[in-house]
Parts: sequence; C-alpha cells; structure tokens
Amino acid sequence: MTANVLILCAAGMLVTAYLMVGQKALFTTIRLYGLQSSLLGIVAATNALSDGRNDLWVTAALTVALKGLLIPWFLMKVIDRIGIHREIEPFLNVPASLLICLGLTVVGYRVSTGFPEGTRGASHHLIGVALSMLLIGLFLMVTRKKAITQILALLTVENAVFLVAVGVTSGMPFIVELGISFDVILAVLVLGVLVQRIVGRFESMDVSRLSKLKG
Amino acid sequence: MNLLVWTLVAPLVTAAIGVVAGPRRFREAIMIGGLAVTFALCLAVAREFLGGAIPAAFGDALRVDGLSALVLVLCGFVGLLSGVYGVGYLRRNEARGLITPRMRREFFGLMPAYVFAILFVSVSNNLGILWIAVELTTLASVFLVTFHDRDTSLEAAWKFLMLGSLGLAFALLGTVLLFASGQGHLGEGMAALHWTRLMQAAPTLHPFTLRLGVVFALIGYGTKAGLAPMHTWKPDAYGEAPSPAGVLMAVGMLNGALYCVLRIHMISSASLGPAFSSGLLLTLGLLSVLVATPFILIQWNLKRLLAYSSIEHVGIMAIGFGLGAKAGVFGALLHMTYHTLAKPVSFFSAGSLAQRYSSSDFETIGGGTFAGAPITSAIFVLSAVMITGSPPFGLFFSEMVILKAGFLGAHRAVTAVFLAALIVLFCGFAYQVGRLVLGPSRHPAAGTMEPERIDLGVGTALVAAVLAIVSAFYLPGPLMALIRAATDVVWGGA
Repeated sequence: MTANVLILCAAGMLVTAYLMVGQKALFTTIRLYGLQSSLLGIVAATNALSDGRNDLWVTAALTVALKGLLIPWFLMKVIDRIGIHREIEPFLNVPASLLICLGLTVVGYRVSTGFPEGTRGASHHLIGVALSMLLIGLFLMVTRKKAITQILALLTVENAVFLVAVGVTSGMPFIVELGISFDVILAVLVLGVLVQRIVGRFESMDVSRLSKLKG
Repeated sequence: MNLLVWTLVAPLVTAAIGVVAGPRRFREAIMIGGLAVTFALCLAVAREFLGGAIPAAFGDALRVDGLSALVLVLCGFVGLLSGVYGVGYLRRNEARGLITPRMRREFFGLMPAYVFAILFVSVSNNLGILWIAVELTTLASVFLVTFHDRDTSLEAAWKFLMLGSLGLAFALLGTVLLFASGQGHLGEGMAALHWTRLMQAAPTLHPFTLRLGVVFALIGYGTKAGLAPMHTWKPDAYGEAPSPAGVLMAVGMLNGALYCVLRIHMISSASLGPAFSSGLLLTLGLLSVLVATPFILIQWNLKRLLAYSSIEHVGIMAIGFGLGAKAGVFGALLHMTYHTLAKPVSFFSAGSLAQRYSSSDFETIGGGTFAGAPITSAIFVLSAVMITGSPPFGLFFSEMVILKAGFLGAHRAVTAVFLAALIVLFCGFAYQVGRLVLGPSRHPAAGTMEPERIDLGVGTALVAAVLAIVSAFYLPGPLMALIRAATDVVWGGA
C-alpha cells in the first residue's frame, strides 16, 4: 500500500515536470509546480505514516504550505504585477523538448540502479524519478528565456533534490531541513525582487536579452 | 555564550544597526567599529585554538579546527579591510551625488551581513549548516552586485544568482547523497551530518552513493569558488559590484567556498582514497588557470581583469590541493594567505582609479593614469607585481612551493603546463598594466581633474599594500602556526 502511494506520487511529479516542459502559459506552469510540490509533501507524509517518524510530518506540512501554496502565490503575484503571461518561443520547440526529456528520464533511471537502495521497491522509482526531474529541470533552465520559467526550473531541481532526500535517506536532520526551507523561501523572494527590477528596467523578462557583458 | 558565538553575533548586530537610519558619521563608525570587533574576536578564537583548545558551539555544529581557524582569521581580516575601504568608497561617491538613501541602507546593512555569512561558512562543522551558510552568502551579495543599479549590474546579478543557485542545488544534492552514503552509521539527529562524524564513518560509507555525492558537492561548491568551467558569473559580478564588495567576493567568499571544497575533498579522500577527488581538483584547477589566460590577454575592463586573476588564483590553489602531496597542500594554504593579503590591494587601487575616471573600461580611462593619479597608479602597479607572483613577494614563494611539489610528485606534465600558463599570465598582466598606467592620457577630462589626494580609500589601499609587502618578508609566528595546523588537518584527512 505504502509503496503504491509513493510510486503514484513520484509518477505524478514526473508527469508535472513533463507538462511544465510542454506548457507556455505561465500561470499553468506555476500551478503545475505547486501540484508537484504538494505531491512531494504527500510522499513525505506517507513516509511519516509508515515509519512512524513524527518530524517528517512537519517536513510534509512545510513542503505543502511553503512550496505548494506560498511560493506559487508569490510568483503569480509577481506575474500579475508585471503583466506578462506567456512564455515566448523557447530555444527548442515542444515536441523536440519532450523527446529529449524522454531520453533524460532513461538516463536518470539508469543511474538510479547504482544505489544500494536503487534496485528494489519504491526507492528505486523515487530515485529514478528524482534524477530524471533533476535533468529535466536543468534542461528547462537552458532552453527557456523567461526569467519566471527559469526560476521554476530551478525550483524543479530543488524538488528533485528533496525527493532524493526522501527516497535515499529517511529524511535529513530536522533543523537542517528547516534551515534549508527557510533559505529556499528567501532565495525565491530575492529572485522575485530581481525579476521585478529587471522588468522595470528592460520592460521585458526575456533573459536572453541580458547579453551585454562579454569577455 | 562563548567567544565563537560572539564572533558571529558581532557582524550580525553591525548589519542590523546599519540598516536602521542614522547620521552618516554614526553609521560609518558602527560599520568600522563592528568589523574591527569582529576581526578581534576572530583573532581571539584563533588564539584559543593555538592554545590547544577546540572552540565549538551548539553541540559541535560550529567547530574550529586548524583549517577553520585559518580561514576565519583571513576572512575577518578582509572583512575589516573592506569595511574601512567601503566607507571611503561611499564617501567619494557621496561627494559626487551618486548615492541614494536606499543604496546607503543596502551598503551598511549588506556588507556586515556578507561578512557574517562568510565567517559562518568558515566555522561550520555540519554539512547542512555549511550549505545554509553558503546560500546566505549568495543572498547577502546579490544586492551588492546590483548596487550601482545599471542595466549591466542587473544582468550580472541575474547570472550570479541563477548560476549560484544552481550550484547550490548541486551542493545540496551532494550533501544529501553524502548523508545517504552513511545510512545506519551516522546515527540520528543533527550530529549525523557533522563533518567529524562523517570522517569517523569514512571507511563504512557506501562507495557509489559517496562518489556521486562528492562529484555533485565539488561541482556545487566549485561554482561558488569560481572554478572553471563554472566560473562564468565571476567577471560579470566582480565587474559590476562596488570594489569593497568585490574584495569580499574575491577573497572572503573564495576562501569560504574553498573551505567547503576541502571539507568534501577530505571526506572523499578518507573513504575512497586520495586519487578520486584529487584528480577532480587537479582537473578543475588546471582548467581554471588555462581559461583565465586568454581572457587576461584580451581584457578590456579593469575589474574584469581582476576577476580573471581571481579565477587563476583559485585554480592555482586547487592544483596545490590536488597534487596529492603534503607540500602541495601547504603551498596552497600559503597561497590562500598571501592571496588574501595581496588581492585587496589590487581591488582597492583599481576601485579608486575606476571611481576617479568614472569607468573601469580601459578605452574610457584612456591610459596614462600614472600622470593623473600617481599614488593610486603606483599602488596598482605594485599590487599587479604581487598578484602575478613575482619575486620577492609572497605569492611567488607559495607558487614555488606548489611547483616544486608538482615536479617532485606524480603530476609532472600537469605542472609543466601550469608553469607555462603562469608565465603567459604574467606577460598578459604586465601588458595590460602598461596599457593602463603608461603614456599620455586620452581621457577627455584629463586636464581638468583635481589633483589626487589621499582620502580614506587610497589610505586603506596604502595600508593594505604595506601589510602585503611586510608579509612577504615576515609572516607572524601565530599565522604560520595556523597555516601548519590547517595543513595537518587537510593532509591528515587525505
């Protein structure tokens, strides 16, 4: 039962990552990220239930509250204020992107078999999905031009790292996890402020235009 | 509370007071005073360490061994120096009407906050806390990069933050994997991520997970240190940040990031044998030196020139650590020390020149600065001689130690390439400096500029220059003891 829930959630996270690659409306992309984070929260909660570890409940609650709700809400507010709603044509079109992501998933799963936990049960899928998401996040980062999409790509990478943490370990030490969550929130705030300044200055958040500094 | 905690509280309090509005003199006094107290506390902690104790706090989450003590003292020193210079820098810009209240608040708040974060990095014994501290350094410095609020500074800050955050995501993954590799051997709670605990458990760590973790962590923290090929944010960020913040990045943050790299390197060496992470360090280091070389030859901007020099130096240190010889480690730590003493001189003099000519672009400055600003130019030439590793200054000795360790060891070919790159770098730097200071000035306002006088900024550069020169001939005994202690820590772990 536990294993099924874990695998279902992990699969859901991978699907959201693929949908983010195929999506151009920024609001939808942000909602997908929120969904992905909530699924991560459910993974943590499931582990808390099955292992009887109380501090994992707090991790789960934090993940859903901060990454599932607060960060998406903040990013939507940023978009609303600057009034830009769609991703422009990425450097690579959607079908080609999806194909590449498929290849990245294969790579992710292949690497996951090297872990001692990686050859059996739910952990295998958690690690495989996490590594695939990591690669997809990196791919999104290099092929997209909008500042907000790049932030979302970074946050996807972050989610992947946390999924590894849940999949390979029984959760990081609690205080450390708390500090990391706090830092991630702070980083998103700083990124948001920076995006607003960039839009205020360049009247666009197309970061491929930021190319004056060379040499 | 013990001394170590106070060392971290002092800059934090300084930052908090700096954010609150107050008369200018008061803020200046608070910043210089606060950073001076911080440096004094760093020295006191190091003294405690040299007295035979291991200063620690919060259940060993913060712990000062030889390596920590050395980095702590070096970063505290740079913090104070850049604080004093920063006040002078701001005064000059203030006199030209370039400073808004927002900038003042950001400057007096973020500079000490940045110093706090760097010192926090250098005493972290817990890999999780270490990661949090490095992230704090990134966040504290972003708005220092955008300080001048130009188009280009926003661009630089964006690249800096995106690349830095990506590096940190990698470092976090590395940390998670290191933790995972010791499942069942590390125990529960916070202490499970202590570096000391991981070192004890080194023989039992799972090799595959550890290997993957080490690669991710080294790349992640290597990004923060600016090792090639993850160095691309560096010229942009150094070029756009105001010089006092540039020094904190180029020396303080560099030392801090190398500290993280070394901690990971030691775990890897203890568990997987020295060859694995040493090879990585050697490759990244040599690549950094090689990448920096052509960009120094064709450089068009004074501050970016210093950034590439910083990439070169971090590469030299990585090579020293990667040679797999005790002499190499000693040379690299000596290099870190002399670099910390010499680099601020370049940044301070270059910053003062850039302020005087309102640009750090070679074309706009138009050469001939020696005629227009003899004191600053002389200091800059002197600093260029020092940071290119010319005798009789400190960096020459440390480079010789590393080269000797390299030629006596197993990596002769790498060392030969490294030596060749150093020679080309020296010529490139000499050419650039000549272009800047010699000849008649082509700057449009050259004739009408007021004569140079020694203000707080130039004065700090002078003092820093004197310290750097003296250090070449006389390194204080306790500092040398710290370098040796740090060598023992790094080599003992390897």
